[in-house]
Amino acid sequence: MGDKSDVLQGTLDLMVLQTLDAMGPLHGYGLARRIEQISEDVLQLNQGTIYASLLRLQQRRWISAAWGTSDNNRKAKFYAITKSGRRQLAAETDNWVRIAGVMGRMLRLPAED
Amino acid sequence: MWTAFLVLLSRCRAVFFGGRLDRDLDDELQAHLAMLTEDNIRRGLAPDEAARQAHLRLGGVAQIEEHHRDARGLPLLETTMQDVRYALRTFRKNRAYTAVAIATLAIGIGAGTTVYTLASAVLLRPLPYGEPGALVRIFETNPLKHWTRNIASPANYADWKAQATSFTDIAAYEQFNSVGSGTADVFLTGFGEPQALKSLGVTGNLFHVLGAQPLLGRTFTDEETFEGKARVVVLSYGVWQGAFAGDPAVVGRTINLSGRTTTIVGVMPRDFFFPGRDVQIWVPVAYSPNIFVRSRRPHWLGVVARRKAGVSLAQAQQEMDRIARDLERRYPDTNTQMGVRLENFHSSLAFEPRPALLMLSGAVGVLFLIVCANLASLQLGRAAVRTRELAIRRALGAGRGRLVRQLLTESLVLSVAGGAMGFALVAAARIVLLRFAGTVVPFFADLRLDRSVLAIDAVLSLAAPLLFGVLPALASSAADGVSERTATSSRDTSWTRSALVAAEVALSIVLVVGAVLLVRSLLRLQGVDPGFNPEHVVAFTVSLPPARYPGPEDRLRAFDAIEQQLRQQPGVQAVGASSTIALRGYTWTGDSTVEGRAATDYERELRHNSITPDYFRAMGIRLLAGRHLDERDRIGQPPVTIVNEALARRYFRGQDAVGRRITFGRPQDNTPWITIVGVVANEKQDGMDKEAQPAAYQSIRQAMQPSMTFAVRSTLEPDAAIAAARPRVWAVDKDLALTSVTTLDAVVDESLGDQRFRTVLLSAFAGVALFLAALGIYGVLAYFVSQRSRELGIRLALGAHPSTLFRLVVGQGLRPVVVGAVCGVAAALALTSLAQSLLFGIAAIDPPTYAVAILVLGASATCACALPARRAMRVDPIVALREE
Repeated sequence: MGDKSDVLQGTLDLMVLQTLDAMGPLHGYGLARRIEQISEDVLQLNQGTIYASLLRLQQRRWISAAWGTSDNNRKAKFYAITKSGRRQLAAETDNWVRIAGVMGRMLRLPAED
Repeated sequence: MWTAFLVLLSRCRAVFFGGRLDRDLDDELQAHLAMLTEDNIRRGLAPDEAARQAHLRLGGVAQIEEHHRDARGLPLLETTMQDVRYALRTFRKNRAYTAVAIATLAIGIGAGTTVYTLASAVLLRPLPYGEPGALVRIFETNPLKHWTRNIASPANYADWKAQATSFTDIAAYEQFNSVGSGTADVFLTGFGEPQALKSLGVTGNLFHVLGAQPLLGRTFTDEETFEGKARVVVLSYGVWQGAFAGDPAVVGRTINLSGRTTTIVGVMPRDFFFPGRDVQIWVPVAYSPNIFVRSRRPHWLGVVARRKAGVSLAQAQQEMDRIARDLERRYPDTNTQMGVRLENFHSSLAFEPRPALLMLSGAVGVLFLIVCANLASLQLGRAAVRTRELAIRRALGAGRGRLVRQLLTESLVLSVAGGAMGFALVAAARIVLLRFAGTVVPFFADLRLDRSVLAIDAVLSLAAPLLFGVLPALASSAADGVSERTATSSRDTSWTRSALVAAEVALSIVLVVGAVLLVRSLLRLQGVDPGFNPEHVVAFTVSLPPARYPGPEDRLRAFDAIEQQLRQQPGVQAVGASSTIALRGYTWTGDSTVEGRAATDYERELRHNSITPDYFRAMGIRLLAGRHLDERDRIGQPPVTIVNEALARRYFRGQDAVGRRITFGRPQDNTPWITIVGVVANEKQDGMDKEAQPAAYQSIRQAMQPSMTFAVRSTLEPDAAIAAARPRVWAVDKDLALTSVTTLDAVVDESLGDQRFRTVLLSAFAGVALFLAALGIYGVLAYFVSQRSRELGIRLALGAHPSTLFRLVVGQGLRPVVVGAVCGVAAALALTSLAQSLLFGIAAIDPPTYAVAILVLGASATCACALPARRAMRVDPIVALREE
């Protein structure tokens, strides 16, 4: 594996949902920056992939989009999490925590020899 | 599930807003880049470097947009639409090619759909009866009389009905011979002008057997089969709408039908017909019960039965065979060798047109294949021209599958356009068919352009690209990059095109041979002498109502008076009348014995005619021996007859028949002897293609009939002659009607109608096939010449004579033609023998026909070769050498 961690598709979707839930409406660049900051630059996104994720979430109506103005007065598209998006986030979070727990235990298993 | 639906919904919506969404995304990504660049500058990078870094972080804008488009909409649909748009643009640039391709397809699809329309109307569309599959037609057969599908005698019918257990019931209807229908003209009076209606006599149970419900009122009861009941009639929808203006209270009304008061009891639905669409009203046969007991010798009933559930046709046939053998034992006098033949009712209606329809279906299938082969060849030719374009597309990253899809889409667009035009052709063809189709479109068939016709048109439009588009698409998409754009692929292509040309030639030969066979049959038929001279003769039938003309003397007076009246018309040369007219209507046949023959050697199918003495003169039938009939041959005088040549040949072989005696009965019947006083030439009876059968003519003074057909020979034009005849008949009795008004020319013409119809249709197919094959040959050669113009130029420059080049090109072109012709002749030999029943006077394996077919094809192929070959001769060496 390289030094930049690859991001699984589903994982990125979950990150976007969580970020929007926590931060409120954000534009694509803001989201990418935010996710990189939180990961403390462990994740070096190819920032374009964020748009694929945003399209997927939009198609499922988990987020909504609207044009607005950014802090430095630039026209940008802002994304916000929807009600069904929050439900999805809750379900996925539970799922993720459970799997993460299992994975943690699995990887700590001593080798049998 | 719900989520999947939302995604689909969103994708569908995106298809329609593609342009706006593209701009949106682009704006968004530009904003992203701008913000990223600003941040980079803030971090201390130089503006150029900041922008470069921003691009690296974001990734390729084009790729993001591409991925977005795929994930956002319905890529399959969108690229297809894109291909369609591209195809349309290409076609606009190649108008000639497109027009040829679409016209070719329109002909192929249109012809296919038209023949399907015919076949479906006659063979496929279910009859408008309850469970029509269970209906069975019952014929009588008799090897002694050469009957294979004959109408039944009333007494035999009654015995079948009483004994058979395979059927729920058996019904009958009047049918006077095995070809024509048994309709009679009746006259509806009291509603404005007297109206002639085609009426059919049926047994009371007919509608129940058919499982047909009336629209209004009721149908008949079993008791109404017999005489002595109140007169009743069931109307067809057409008559109800026409003569009675759709009056909802029509049931119960009494009307006057040919002078008899009749009560309307029911109206049938619009779709109902029986047995043909020409029948307008149905009346009970109203026979005395005696007829069903005694009438075993004369045959005049069509019989239709309904099989019980679980009884197969074969089982029913077995039972009926048993009953027929039983009747043969009980009535040896009439039923010797009398058998029974069962047929599915629908098949029995379609019996006559079926061979012609199957032949046409086969021919149109062949034509369709030729159309596809031709288009495949055209496409291959064009693909060769487009190699460059395809190579570039390939280099830009289009996969082979993608290219094949694009090419197939183009084929499909062509084909759909062709299919649409083809449908217009079908609509036009339908009108022509209805006028000229003769009995290939029998009375019961309704040529409707319904959904199934549209469906077939669509299926053919979709099938065609699979046949003509796949091969060229695969071949041309194989060309990989510019380096391979040379000899190998183009050699493969031209080999394939030659093979296609050979196939086209082979298929065309089959059609041309078929067409030539039919044309030669038709010419032979047209050359047949009908035995009478049809020019300038009009004919019409006059029936005397029995109520006002009860006895033979009354009828004789009326018929004599009519003849006298007609003779006084200026321009009239001869007037005569017969109970039967050639090639039309029915005739009574019966046993007849020649004096001095053995008890078993007698004629079982002699045709009887009653005539007025001048009949032969009016018809132009030659008297070969003896004398004509005259006024003196009447009741009270010795009975005399004139026989035709067929009878004289069969029984008197060259000896003079005049003076010999025959009787209209079997040797043991003791019927009176009749002296033969003359022999006339054969007049054709059942058709121009049928041998004349033995016939005897008696004077109406000795054998009266209630209905006579008059033949009037005059110098007038037919319309004028008929117009002049009407008042003359009305001068005798103003209530008499002239029916079956026609000219003898038209009668002869109509009897050739079927043959002409299929000949014209197949010839048209063959003509189109030839043209397409020639087009295919031309296309291949034109391409050959354009590809090798350089080589040809060099040859010319080195001193080759232009005629050498001409021969080179023509030779190249004729090679696949020869191969195709050989295969085609073999296929034609195998196939046309199937069509022997459609031919007249020639065998299917007819050397002159093959010679003509090969000659015609060779000539068109040579013409197709000559044009490109001439171009090859005119290649300018300088221009050719400079070309590349």
